[in-house]
Amino acid sequence: MTETPLLEVRNLSKRFPLRHGLFQPRAWKTAVEEVSFVVPRGSTLALVGESGSGKSTVGLMLLDLLAPTSGEILYEGKPFRERQGAVRRALRREMQVVFQDPYASLNARMNVRETLTEGMIVHKIGANAAEREERAVRLLQQVSLSAEALERYPHEFSGGQRQRIAIARALSVEPKFIVLDEPTSALDVSVQSQVLNLLRQLQRDFGLTYLFVTHNLDVVGYLADSVCVMEKGKIVERGAVDEIFDDPKEAYTRRLLEAIPSLDPTMQELLDQTRP
Amino acid sequence: MNTPLLQVENLRTYFHTPYGIARAVDGVSFSVQAGQTLAIVGESGCGKSMTALSLLQLVPEPAGYIEGGRILFEGKDLLDRTWNQMRQVRGRDLAMIFQEPMTSLNPVFTLGTQLVEAMTVHGTATRMEAEKRAVTLLERVKLPQPQQVLRQYPHELSGGMRQRVMIAMALANRPKLLLADEPTTALDVTVQAQILDLLRELQQETGMAVLLITHDLGIVARMADQVAVMYAGQVVENAPTKQLFRNPQHPYTRGLFASLPTRSQRGRDLATLEGTVPQSTNWPAACRFEPRCPARWQTCAEIAPKFLTTKPDHLLRCHLYDPDIPDRPQAPSLQEAMKTLESAGRTVAPIAAVPNSEVQP
Repeated sequence: MTETPLLEVRNLSKRFPLRHGLFQPRAWKTAVEEVSFVVPRGSTLALVGESGSGKSTVGLMLLDLLAPTSGEILYEGKPFRERQGAVRRALRREMQVVFQDPYASLNARMNVRETLTEGMIVHKIGANAAEREERAVRLLQQVSLSAEALERYPHEFSGGQRQRIAIARALSVEPKFIVLDEPTSALDVSVQSQVLNLLRQLQRDFGLTYLFVTHNLDVVGYLADSVCVMEKGKIVERGAVDEIFDDPKEAYTRRLLEAIPSLDPTMQELLDQTRP
Repeated sequence: MNTPLLQVENLRTYFHTPYGIARAVDGVSFSVQAGQTLAIVGESGCGKSMTALSLLQLVPEPAGYIEGGRILFEGKDLLDRTWNQMRQVRGRDLAMIFQEPMTSLNPVFTLGTQLVEAMTVHGTATRMEAEKRAVTLLERVKLPQPQQVLRQYPHELSGGMRQRVMIAMALANRPKLLLADEPTTALDVTVQAQILDLLRELQQETGMAVLLITHDLGIVARMADQVAVMYAGQVVENAPTKQLFRNPQHPYTRGLFASLPTRSQRGRDLATLEGTVPQSTNWPAACRFEPRCPARWQTCAEIAPKFLTTKPDHLLRCHLYDPDIPDRPQAPSLQEAMKTLESAGRTVAPIAAVPNSEVQP
């Protein structure tokens, strides 16, 4: 297959300057160091690691919300740098993000209609207000919310519903690529399963590509196709999900896997036999 | 059978709200044996944390109040105590660690000051002794350079280190029962594993009992001897951990298990429990789980289920297992129940927007 991957990252690094005195040499904190990976179209790549491992920083650079210190990000085979101005802004339409905390990521002063149509207005999707409204209703249906939600404000919804609104907002501009930054870690298990089902269904229906940033390895095992394990800004191990889970090479990966409190094997067996 | 260290009987904690009385904890009963770990699991809004706060009588007043019930600690009812008598119990026989270690430490005092105060306030040690013990305590929770930590302020430590200090503080007076409310939720997985191992180790050393509140069934499997599953202010299932994990009986417990994502589930839809926990001002009148239950029938909406003892150590609140309910269908086997839940996951039913005034802090 010679198809260009949707996204390719080459030797990406990010350093942040630390506070320094007038006569002191500049000091740097390296958050991401020489990270390279490829995300094929329609697949899910998971970045896992502890907090401070640089996984969210990678996500922000991919979204063009943070400039890399060095390295290159190729979107549909073309580097970010070669796109400027309006072309670059248009790219932002194709890349969206869903954050961890649906209590913080939605604007409390905008009702759901405003939240969902703002992106459409910016990116000139939909000819007029009526058309945009129609699209907003359809988006709500796609995330299993009813049209009456349009008039409501974020505080009127539960965490799971807010996360659905955040997903609908991301979908409102017809993206190809979505960064999911811990999208279910603030949710209860029963709600988490609803959101994960939804994400899988949307990926199927729209051929979306996901970058999944998380430290929850159970979710990675369920949703991702391949995994990059990050430690202190570097990728220490990468591979298909089964490779990483069944045969971890790095001590750090093994430590992460052992740290997941896993269920009684008997229960696991039972679950497996009920789902042939 | 020896008497349990803690026995809670029909505990009810209510709140006055603009929407009426919120019955956050509504008839909760369970017991904790000395040296054992009881886990309370359930979704947010089920009354887990409020149960723990009620035990310490730290329910936010004046809106909240303990309506009734008994909290027998070593055979004596804690609810008979005055506020001042309770102060002697808190932090001494009954200690608590909270989810967010940043907000539960005082930012303007050094950790040393706070640790020493925890001991001197109860008169379990003089100042000099307390200072010495503070170092030992920090060593026990495996903090490197304890001398230095004692001089530091909470903001200078990482989340994992702060939680270790909280544990040290909770253990300072050798409590008989430790209440741990989501002790690792704010922490990274590897740190979480360390903290849980540490808790278990310290428990074996000191012989204290632990009441662990969590929504993570993985943590329950790792830590607990006994599990109480809470839903809508009530305990719906209570059984030894092994038994509960091998054969969960209550439809809610089964739903919780079935909705866990695992690698073996990849490529398939996860089972879901439709809907959300109802408002505590407005619990369903009969069975509180009925609106979301995949196994419900007419009776469930009419009669509230009793808290049954199906086996000597297995307690359940469900009509499916009640011999006094004449029209009950055969309880589905675990396999059948899982299949039903899974097909529910496939048909994503629209969820109407419901106002949610209850936001977890």
